Amino acid sequence: MKTKLFVLFGLLLVAAPAWAHHAFAAEFDQTRPLKLKGTVVKWEVTNPHSWIHMDVKGDDGKVVTWMIEGGSPNNLYRLGFTKDSLPPGSEIMVEGYQAKDLSTRAVGKSVTFADGRKLFLGLQARESDPETKK
Amino acid sequence: MNYRGFALVATLGVIAVIVLLAPATASGQTLSPVAKTAPAHKVWTAPRTTDGQPDLQGVWTNNTVTPLERPKELAGKEFYTEAEMQTLAKHERERLDQVEDEGQPAANHSGVEGAPADDVHYDFSQFGLDRGQAKLAWNRRTSIIVGPEGTIPPLTPDARKRLADRKAKAKGHEFDGPENFSLGARCIARPNVAPLLPSAYNSNLQIVQGAGYVALETEMIHDVRIIPTDGRPHIPKSIHQWYGDSVGHWEGNTLVIDTTNFTDLSPFPGAQNLHMIERLTRADEDTILYQFTVEDPGMWAKPWSGELPITRIDGQLYEYACHEANYPLANTLRGARVAEEQVAKKAVK
Repeated sequence: MKTKLFVLFGLLLVAAPAWAHHAFAAEFDQTRPLKLKGTVVKWEVTNPHSWIHMDVKGDDGKVVTWMIEGGSPNNLYRLGFTKDSLPPGSEIMVEGYQAKDLSTRAVGKSVTFADGRKLFLGLQARESDPETKK
Repeated sequence: MNYRGFALVATLGVIAVIVLLAPATASGQTLSPVAKTAPAHKVWTAPRTTDGQPDLQGVWTNNTVTPLERPKELAGKEFYTEAEMQTLAKHERERLDQVEDEGQPAANHSGVEGAPADDVHYDFSQFGLDRGQAKLAWNRRTSIIVGPEGTIPPLTPDARKRLADRKAKAKGHEFDGPENFSLGARCIARPNVAPLLPSAYNSNLQIVQGAGYVALETEMIHDVRIIPTDGRPHIPKSIHQWYGDSVGHWEGNTLVIDTTNFTDLSPFPGAQNLHMIERLTRADEDTILYQFTVEDPGMWAKPWSGELPITRIDGQLYEYACHEANYPLANTLRGARVAEEQVAKKAVK
């Protein structure tokens, strides 16, 4: 049984939710990873994906606005996050991949505040324990 | 329905429901009645609506770690033991902690089944979408599909050919235009509405009842199935709808829904005469047992059934206006055109 369970846990690690909104590999380019540091202009709290607009200053001093695709905002709301939690002017860092159309759009694989704090830290309200009945 | 049967369930919660169900369902694909007998410590009475029907109303989730089909490694094992399930729960907690501690995904959090960890995608946990960040409806099943096999039965030869033809026709044209995209990517229909299956995230639903009607609203993708319970027949056979045509009736504490008139594109592409029966039974204050059976002799060798608990959550559903901000559709099409240009330029050189 031990072996079986071990195998099972291996499976569970990859058996992430079976459905995503669209094929990300069709929209973003894995050969174009990027790291962006800048300030939030606005956050579109929309479905199926939220979009963070951020101003990024290039090496030449020129400021370019990027749009960063992120997840559905519904669960963030449920965990206590609101539109005010990411106000314009916030300094953030984004690691992600550029869009295949070569525009200034990217998917935000991870988003952190400039000081390294995770954007949504403290929101991990744990409701998943089987004993936990709310 | 035996009301006393619910007594123990009420005190032990979701896990207990499944424990009680286990012996009844282990024998085969037949759907089990909810907890037949149990010592009556405290009688729990299923609530009723003002017009006397069992009350299923509320905001619920079917978020789960249970896959639809049983993994090969667990063939023949329909249920975890209580200890195994606790280990599973522990593992689920540790999985998320690993992500938090290291600041990076420990494994695949892309939401795409089988995708490598470095898939071009956001990390689900970054946006509160990891299943472990929401309330889970625990149960001891190793797959949502019940029975000794726990898998979708084999396709009929006709269905295999139909699907192969469809796939061959689509090949090479995936990004020609928006109509080539999946129903989900186009925000038209998703496979979590009928039958009610968990979604990758936002696996929430609200049930509202009025005299002669039950409405099932799923957060993904903001769809409502309005089910009349007045005994009316199905709509004419010539009409096909994304989520079919549902009519319902009450059997004791159970809402039974009969659905036909699906399209052959959803929820199971290639199924041309899909017939589905669903049963929703209030098991305790915080739990509904959801069971479904689908059949289509032209699609599968035999009918198949599934069941999973639906558990209550606090709060409300949030709008999921998928069309409103479906930028990925245009982004992907633009990306495909850029790629085509690049190929054309290379060819000229």
